[in-house]
Amino acid sequence: MSAEYIKKKRILLVDDEPELREMVVSILKEDGFEKIETAGSVREALDAAQRFSPDLAILDVMLPDGNGFELMKSLKKSGDYPVLFLTARGEDEDKFRGFGLGADDYVVKPFLPRELLFRVSAILRRCYKEEEPLVKLHACSIDLERAEVVKNGERILLTAKEYELLSALYRNAGRIVTIDALCEAAWGDNPYGYENSLMAHIRRIREKIEENPSKPVSLVTVKGLGYRLNTEK
Amino acid sequence: MKSIPKLIRRFLGILLLSTVLFLMLNIGFLVAFTMRHTPNSRPWSAAQEAADAMTEANGTWTISPEMEQKLQSEQVWAVYIDNETGQALWHSGNLPEEIPLQYTASQIASLTRGYLSDYPTFTGTGEKGLMILGYPKESFWKHMYASWDFQMIESVPRTILTVLGANIILVLVIYLGANSGLLRSVKPIAEGIQKLPTGEAVSLKERGILSELAADINQTSEMLQTQKYLLMKKEAARANWIAGVSHDIRTPLSMVMGYADQLSESKGLNEEEKKKAEVIVRQSRRIKNLINDLNLASKLEYNMQPLSMKQENAVAIVRQVVVDFMNMDIEQRYPIQWETPEDLNVCLIRADRELLMRAVSNLIQNSMNHNEEGCTIYVSVTETEKNCEICVEDDGRGVTDEELKKLTAAPHYMVCDSSATEQRHGLGLLIVRQIARSHGGRIVISHGSHNGFGVRIILPGEGKPPAQRD
Repeated sequence: MSAEYIKKKRILLVDDEPELREMVVSILKEDGFEKIETAGSVREALDAAQRFSPDLAILDVMLPDGNGFELMKSLKKSGDYPVLFLTARGEDEDKFRGFGLGADDYVVKPFLPRELLFRVSAILRRCYKEEEPLVKLHACSIDLERAEVVKNGERILLTAKEYELLSALYRNAGRIVTIDALCEAAWGDNPYGYENSLMAHIRRIREKIEENPSKPVSLVTVKGLGYRLNTEK
Repeated sequence: MKSIPKLIRRFLGILLLSTVLFLMLNIGFLVAFTMRHTPNSRPWSAAQEAADAMTEANGTWTISPEMEQKLQSEQVWAVYIDNETGQALWHSGNLPEEIPLQYTASQIASLTRGYLSDYPTFTGTGEKGLMILGYPKESFWKHMYASWDFQMIESVPRTILTVLGANIILVLVIYLGANSGLLRSVKPIAEGIQKLPTGEAVSLKERGILSELAADINQTSEMLQTQKYLLMKKEAARANWIAGVSHDIRTPLSMVMGYADQLSESKGLNEEEKKKAEVIVRQSRRIKNLINDLNLASKLEYNMQPLSMKQENAVAIVRQVVVDFMNMDIEQRYPIQWETPEDLNVCLIRADRELLMRAVSNLIQNSMNHNEEGCTIYVSVTETEKNCEICVEDDGRGVTDEELKKLTAAPHYMVCDSSATEQRHGLGLLIVRQIARSHGGRIVISHGSHNGFGVRIILPGEGKPPAQRD
């Protein structure tokens, strides 16, 4: 599921449990990641970061000589790369603290390998964008880079809101995105009362991307809940 | 606290009232008593009557026989003297020897005002003379000196009113003084007692008449505080213990889960071995869910779960949970029907988003766990006048009435103080109930409207959102 370019990214893994480190490395390697460095303490992690200059750090919260939040602060001083927390403390408190300090995501132990891989790939894709790909749909393709739809050789421009909505749908391609998440993507926080506007925008998007806008196949409605963008391989 | 001043006021009021009542009773009694005895103008009128009863015939004066008899019966002697000469014109037969028969003007003035040889004497004016009646010794007390300043008599009503007013004011001052003094010493005690049930620490100054009471209250408060502290410590220790155990299980379980999952997809193993690895993964996940639930339930039970309450849209929260389940590709076996009214897009509540999502997903997961053969799950959000209701129902195998009763009434083993020997149900519903409670709401468990199992979470609403925008 992960694009090739992200497998080349360098990952620093910090956890005090050698066996867990070993397992995570094996999970990552099996999925195709090649450049992985590990550390068992804050000191080792800082050394490794200097030597290795990672593209992503996976940190445990509790380390023998400090905690992960403090380590993240020190790491972020030397380089701006995403941080994923691996924590045994599932408390919400910790999650919020992590996010507040600039953590990009967290995985609560115990986790399934595919859960971890999904988060790692998502962060890497979000932070190291390749050129925005051409999204292939049933009746057209979308050039998100240029905010254009290419349909029957014709180029149709997307408005800013249409672009935001399509990007949000594309990021979750094949999955339902709720009405509320779409409103938030287009209008920001507390998007109450935009449901009708959303419907109008969806209608206009369909006119641009669907063969038959009244019988949509790419951008489908899940009644009362949200919308789903079906891409073609 | 209002009851104490009320009590004191009533007590002093009764005291005041009874004082006034006594005073009035006494005055009334005095008036009645003197009224009966005062009109001792009786001898004066008798003298006047005796004077009128005198008649002259041929230069000789006689008294009417009735009057004579009356005087005799009262042992009164009488002398009738001539106005001009001062000579006795007539006298009664019982005249004592020491009583003269000739009177000077000064003698008359003196006997009118006082006594004659210790006989209280009274006079009455007749046609030509003066009647003198002498009553037996020590039968009357005469007081003839009284005379008042006219102005003083004139201002009597005002004086009486002033004195009365001064009295009332004085009584009032005494009343208020006593009231406030009593209150001042009782107030801190009363406040202390009132604070005790709230669980606050109480420390009163141990001074004054009620110092012993204050000391007792302080001691009680101290005892309560110690008990509260010990209880909190115990609860915190229990919650921390559960948190610690669940934390320590997480890392080893990660490895069990991780490697088992790798094995289940390993190419080197045959199908049966892969299936076994899958069972390990599935069971590890159960342990994971169990420790998560156990931790959250114990924290919610002991109020150690930090709540981040914000204004949230319940529809959006539930929608997200439903979509997450649908995206997890379970739709073949557990299709979810969204039954929220089409025009309801916003239902504002104060909520901890994560916790509420947890409650709703617990309910959906619950329906899935109890219906392995699959079922349709119906989810809806509705808005009533004051509340927001989240409803999760299924058309699965449901529960019997008896089980339903037990789920509703019987305490969960986690929060039950007697050892529970009956079959234990999971923590899922307990957590939903705890979350509803921490949001000021409740849950209703029923058969649902689809012949299965249904739970309604009822939360207090936050009113209408701002008007619809374009």
